[in-house]
Amino acid sequence: MKRLTERDEAEINSILSREDEILPSSGFATSVMDAVRREATAPPPIPFPWKRALPGLVVGCFALVLVLVAGVRVIAQLDKATGPQASMSSPSVAPLLFHGGGIESAATWTVLALLLALVSVKLSVRLTSGRV
Amino acid sequence: MNASASDDQADVERVLAGDVSAFEGIVRRWQTPLVNLAYRFCHDRCRSEDMAQEAFLRAYRGLAQWRKDAVFSTWLFALATNLYRSELRRIPARTVSLEDIAEPPDTRASDRSLEDRDYDRDTTVRRAVFALPAKYREALTLFYFHDMDVTTAARSLGLPEGTVKARLFRGRDILRNKLPQLLAVPRLKEA
Repeated sequence: MKRLTERDEAEINSILSREDEILPSSGFATSVMDAVRREATAPPPIPFPWKRALPGLVVGCFALVLVLVAGVRVIAQLDKATGPQASMSSPSVAPLLFHGGGIESAATWTVLALLLALVSVKLSVRLTSGRV
Repeated sequence: MNASASDDQADVERVLAGDVSAFEGIVRRWQTPLVNLAYRFCHDRCRSEDMAQEAFLRAYRGLAQWRKDAVFSTWLFALATNLYRSELRRIPARTVSLEDIAEPPDTRASDRSLEDRDYDRDTTVRRAVFALPAKYREALTLFYFHDMDVTTAARSLGLPEGTVKARLFRGRDILRNKLPQLLAVPRLKEA
């Protein structure tokens, strides 16, 4: 790799240090102060409604944990039932869920998911309309 | 950049106490450096004023965050530099590639004055800096803006001094490699 000579360094330093100075336009400070005054008189930003959102967040987290725990249990049961060879040869877990848990189990999960979706939609609508 | 630090501190305290008009003192003291710094980033006069105005607004909003462990100007320049870099990442300035600017005008042409040739060479070097990759360009911009003070440039960029030195070295090295004919031609003043 080429090394910079001292003369090159001095040359570049000299050129780049001589950058022309520009002056702000005459109304610049006034324009900035207008913007600052607008900022000062603007109402403070609306804080996030943690109080209203907290129950929904807690329910959501709880439901998520429940779903995860249930999913892990189902997979563990399937592993036990089918053995290592069968689980390696099966391409997808989804069909096994229906075979293992039965049609009632699938229906329960569907209803639970629909209810959860309904609750989250209702909650978000209420939050946005401010009627909590 | 020789404004009184105590004036800055007094104005900041007045603004924090609720006197918004005291911010005008800060704007008037720092408008030229902030607009010039923005101009070195974008090379667009109109845009540099917009960027500087946004920097002042952000400074006003975050005035309480200045912890007074460094002088006000250091905090202000770091804030402005951060904003300008983000702004240029969001909407890049129009640049030309290093390959396209590596052809300086013919410095041997006899009908050109000495000043014209110097001007052409200076312009080419500046355009070459502007065409560098962002990290080298920013280091070089801040270094020369702060009168070749690596410590201040590093503070403005929020980087360790060693990193800035390495970027300066690499940036200059790219310039040297891309513009050999430019720096190799002896200046007529010296001849």
